[in-house]
Amino acid sequence: MKKLQSNILNMAAVLTVIAIVAAGLLAWVNNVTSGPIEKINNATIENGIRSVILGDRDIQFTVDQPVEQDGFVFHCVNDANGNLIGTAVESNENGFGGNLKVMVGFDPEGVILGYTVLEHSETPGLGAQADGWFRQKSADAKEQAGVVDVLLGAPAKPGNHNIIGMNPGDDMMLVSKDGGAVDAITASTITSKAFLRAVNSAYKALFGYTAADAVSGASSQN
Amino acid sequence: MNYFKTIINGIVKENPTFVLLLGMCPTLATTTSAVNGLGMGVATMFVLICSNTFISLLKNLIPDGVRIPCYIVVIASFVTLLQMLMQAYVPDLYKTLGIFIPLIVVNCVILGRAEAFAAKNNVLASICDGLGIGIGFTLALTLLGFVRELLGNGAVFGYRIFPESMNMLVFVLAPGAFITLGLLLAIVNSVKNRKA
Repeated sequence: MKKLQSNILNMAAVLTVIAIVAAGLLAWVNNVTSGPIEKINNATIENGIRSVILGDRDIQFTVDQPVEQDGFVFHCVNDANGNLIGTAVESNENGFGGNLKVMVGFDPEGVILGYTVLEHSETPGLGAQADGWFRQKSADAKEQAGVVDVLLGAPAKPGNHNIIGMNPGDDMMLVSKDGGAVDAITASTITSKAFLRAVNSAYKALFGYTAADAVSGASSQN
Repeated sequence: MNYFKTIINGIVKENPTFVLLLGMCPTLATTTSAVNGLGMGVATMFVLICSNTFISLLKNLIPDGVRIPCYIVVIASFVTLLQMLMQAYVPDLYKTLGIFIPLIVVNCVILGRAEAFAAKNNVLASICDGLGIGIGFTLALTLLGFVRELLGNGAVFGYRIFPESMNMLVFVLAPGAFITLGLLLAIVNSVKNRKA
């Protein structure tokens, strides 16, 4: 077949047809995949609520209809008798690479039961570690020791970055550089600060104040 | 045309990263670890094979004057398609690779191969070229990610080799990408020159 000539009619026709076919194909695929995608997103939220409130505990629970307010989404979780076990809060912050969306679980006193990162665009290998970093217990530090460490018998240094069990109302939930009690992710201070802001603001939205308020208020005046 | 030769050509003689120096932006941006490099390479290979196939099929229907916009529409459609399908049916893979997928549209390897190869050759040869260039790109990105992860994070594919205190963080950050790529290019060139 001979190649079509480059006159204005041919060019306009071909480009239009290709664009229409492409748009039609994309619309069809979007239609087919939007159902499964929504199902997956809902499942992510549900699994998130389960993991941040219950952790490893296996008990009967019910989740109230989510309440949305000021950009925060609250999921109240009750046990079988209808008593409040905790509240999972979805909270957004500006991270290093874009929106950072975390879900934090608080018990009725405000103690952090767990958290999960729902959405992020942080640097892989650096800020992207946030999902594991802030729940690392010192017992896990051994796994961080390298092969060379083990051969030399050097002890791994346990970091102080586990936020599970802290209460933003009593504890300074700030990175250690800002006078807080949490070690930032190595070389990812911006992500760490954003993460802790998200946790603090989730607590604030739920209880109205945080211990970090005084410090961050003072530093913002500088 | 020897199809096998076309594939090998893409991997060695016309390796997109080390010889053609195409697609540097995603190469530098995504190779913070070996897994990320591998993932970006495989995703690019898929789009490259699809776009090469269709552009080769349509090459006589597309007038020369509008060929670039036509190629871009075809490539962008495949990337969006891939993104939606992955999100719906392989969500775990999408979680790790998701942020790289839109980057493929602007990867000049794909447009480059459409223009330089698919628009001039038959469908089968174009598929082979896509496969070869794709494998070459994947290998190069994995190697780059491997070196950067090992030096910067002390790990290989997530398994720790050196202790954390020996990490040279600069290799995970942007400057490390340039340094690593430069050194790898120097090695490749010196090997090539010795052969010649």
